[in-house]
Amino acid sequence: MALATDESVHELPEMTPMGNPLDWSWLRGTRAEWGMNPVPSRRGLTMMDIATGTYGEVLEEPPYRSMAPRGADIDEDTPDMGYILNHKSQVWADNVVELYEEAVARQWSSTRDIPWNELQELPSDIEHAMCQLCTVLTEIEMIATDLPAKWMWRMNHHFVEAKMFLATQIMDEARHADVFRKRALANGGGLLLSGSGDESLLRSILEAKTYTQASALLHLLGEGFILDVFRQGELIAPTHVEKKIFRLSMQDEARHVAYGTMHIRQAIAGDPDVADEIHEALDHGEQFLIEFGTSPVLSSALAILLGGGSEHIEDKGFPMQSLLATKIFTSYLARCERAGLNRIDRTDLPLELLGIDIDAFDRTGV
Amino acid sequence: MSDRVNDLAFYQDLADLMNAHPDQYETLGEVDFTLGVLMAAEGGNDLRLRLRFEDLGCADVSPLSEGGEASCDCWLEGDTDSWGEMFDDITTNGRATGRRTINSLTLVGDRIDVRGDDPMGVDKFFRFNQTIQQFFDGAAQLAPSSA
Ligand SMILES: [Fe+2]
Ligand SMILES: [Fe+2]
Repeated sequence: MALATDESVHELPEMTPMGNPLDWSWLRGTRAEWGMNPVPSRRGLTMMDIATGTYGEVLEEPPYRSMAPRGADIDEDTPDMGYILNHKSQVWADNVVELYEEAVARQWSSTRDIPWNELQELPSDIEHAMCQLCTVLTEIEMIATDLPAKWMWRMNHHFVEAKMFLATQIMDEARHADVFRKRALANGGGLLLSGSGDESLLRSILEAKTYTQASALLHLLGEGFILDVFRQGELIAPTHVEKKIFRLSMQDEARHVAYGTMHIRQAIAGDPDVADEIHEALDHGEQFLIEFGTSPVLSSALAILLGGGSEHIEDKGFPMQSLLATKIFTSYLARCERAGLNRIDRTDLPLELLGIDIDAFDRTGV
Repeated sequence: MSDRVNDLAFYQDLADLMNAHPDQYETLGEVDFTLGVLMAAEGGNDLRLRLRFEDLGCADVSPLSEGGEASCDCWLEGDTDSWGEMFDDITTNGRATGRRTINSLTLVGDRIDVRGDDPMGVDKFFRFNQTIQQFFDGAAQLAPSSA
């Protein structure tokens, strides 16, 4: 109970000089926990450090649908804000608080942290391919910004750390759109072709009927793919400047994937029937991803970059592309398993064509 | 530098370097990650070690027992030659370049592979990758010519 014991609290005015009523109940004592003394960790005072007592109790089904902060003494007649995601399993992930702190600690600046003045003039085909890849990446990064933004305002404020994490994702994606746009323009090139074939995947993410379906499509499938593209990005980067761009972006992307994997796990644990709706979304999503990943524009740009030039598309570019595709989908299927989702027995992905040996797949290793 | 690649003390030197310069890691942010390194060498001079990264430093460098890698978030498995090439490249260029960054070396997985029992642990290798690379890049400062 919060209670001020000073005698002066009994002699407080009931009205402002303007005649407006004053409520001193918060000073005389509330039902909220008082006297919290969280101990900062070595890195400072984290959200984990203050998750003590009722402040750290994330309820499965909070009684209010208001913007009231969790742990506060909430008025019984607090207004319903119309949130539709009111169950913990609909938004939460066991690692979300740590991921939020990690995201805050590991923010970077595309303006400051990339050595732009060390870019080098590149052969024309490589520069074009890099600019084409940056065009595609800029396009999809903004979808990954729009998606959390679309759902956040429908999430019960009780799950504030999940909303805070998604806010960091929005910032991360904005920075990715920013850094790839900058790279496209920074070295004598520019943006190239925005193909029409990218729409199916991106639209299916944005138009998913539930947040958990959207999260499976974005965090688990789409961003899992982009995480691996960023890994490849470093391999194909012509100079250390691009390497740093891809590596720093990859770190952010891995956080988004980590949230999505554990969110899907939480969603299924909370309501096993949800697995069916996720499977349905991924049935379509995987086909769209294959379409997207093999789109003539993206795959031709990647083939040049992986080959190290247009003269090595066939002897180096294509073989490397198919080798990496195997890794991309193996990692994806392993994450699905971790999320509690058995896609191996259900997927229509051409596993054999992708070089994935189901018998050798141990469902844990990647 | 490659002559020290399977010497545990070399990694302790890298850790000491990191711990002496937290400012250089500050913009990259804090880390919470345990990485195993399993290095196979001809002649049986294998090295198995555990690197524990906490906050802005490397809190522990210790030998890893047989099977001890299961206690790590993930581990890197490869031959000493691949590691040696990375450290030689770092010494020559001041940082890992081209296809000799730790991320590039593990991408295909033919020479050094990133492995783990849990995909979430493996993904930590990606979440903290720039910090790990900078840690290894410290080898350039340990090289005799720059001492
Ligand atoms: Fe992104
Ligand atoms: Fe992302």
